[in-house]
Amino acid sequence: MRMDETLVSADGKNSRAVLCQRCGCRVLSVGTATLAKRELLLPSMKKKSSLADESNPDTELLVEHWLVHDMFTFENVGFTKDVGNVKFLVCADCEVGPIGWHSLEEKSNFYVALQRVRHE
Amino acid sequence: MESRPGYHRGGGNNITWGDSPALPGAQGRRRKQPPRPADFKLQVIIIGSRGVGKTSLMERFTDDTFCEACKSTVGVDFKIKTVELRGKKIRLQIWDTAGQERFNSITSAYYRSAKGIILVYDLTKKETFDDLPKWMKMIDKYASDDAELLLVGNKLDCETDREITRQQGEKFAQQITGMRFCEASAKDNFNVDEIFLKLVDDILKKMPLDIMRNELSNSILSLQPEPEIPPELPPPRPPVRCC
Repeated sequence: MRMDETLVSADGKNSRAVLCQRCGCRVLSVGTATLAKRELLLPSMKKKSSLADESNPDTELLVEHWLVHDMFTFENVGFTKDVGNVKFLVCADCEVGPIGWHSLEEKSNFYVALQRVRHE
Repeated sequence: MESRPGYHRGGGNNITWGDSPALPGAQGRRRKQPPRPADFKLQVIIIGSRGVGKTSLMERFTDDTFCEACKSTVGVDFKIKTVELRGKKIRLQIWDTAGQERFNSITSAYYRSAKGIILVYDLTKKETFDDLPKWMKMIDKYASDDAELLLVGNKLDCETDREITRQQGEKFAQQITGMRFCEASAKDNFNVDEIFLKLVDDILKKMPLDIMRNELSNSILSLQPEPEIPPELPPPRPPVRCC
């Protein structure tokens, strides 16, 4: 999926608010995140069928993310318990996810995958 | 500048807490200004016995398209939520431990850093009410003296199954200095989110005006998001892919 260039404003920040795809809960306000390209493997957000096959993989490699450096920058977001040394981000209201990724080894990096959210 | 409390929620829904009706125009008024950062941050914990059975917003979305794999298999640790009250924008960091299996799974550090504590019981299940003294012992032992306490009787929508009267709940709260009480129903949209507003409002009312500045938010920021238990980290390795 190509990044829509209108998503990033002149100052390099998100030009539109980031919302949950399912319930519309506001995750990030305008101008709070920068665009980062990084290969992150996230578990699938869509319900997988009982037979996981090639067209329904368990995980997805996502490259484009909104990056913030302080968890209090988020308007609303949920953090899962630790999976190894990673916490996944989920919607704070409907808890769908994962919409993002945070490594306990990188305390100042919080990623929200563009493909896992929608933009206002 | 709004003079009455309003709750601005993501997605454009305006829910006001209190007697005032919702203000549909309010969201439009804010759109002209750039969103401002939070005025300050508060930590809140929700505690209560197994079986308090809060109906979460998620249950209303019985959408088979999406998988709550993260919630059901991994579990939510904590949430950041934003509320607006009295013209201030407040970020809450919420640990919702109510209903978790192990009574002692909540460490003392969670209590200590919490500015607000919501204690939940299920008004249709007497045993969850009888457990309250047990939770109060933890609060007395570990919580800060100035933490705001709120007792919530959940499942107001199940009136026919009620086992604890409102008076019983009120009486319990009255025994504890400063503890407020209310009954709630997640099902009727009077869910735990509205409870936060009540709690935060009480916290704000207690705060002296000269503290309501960024200095306060900075000091709260210095608290670690996790309790002060050093995690056992695996040896450092280049962070490329997870899993």
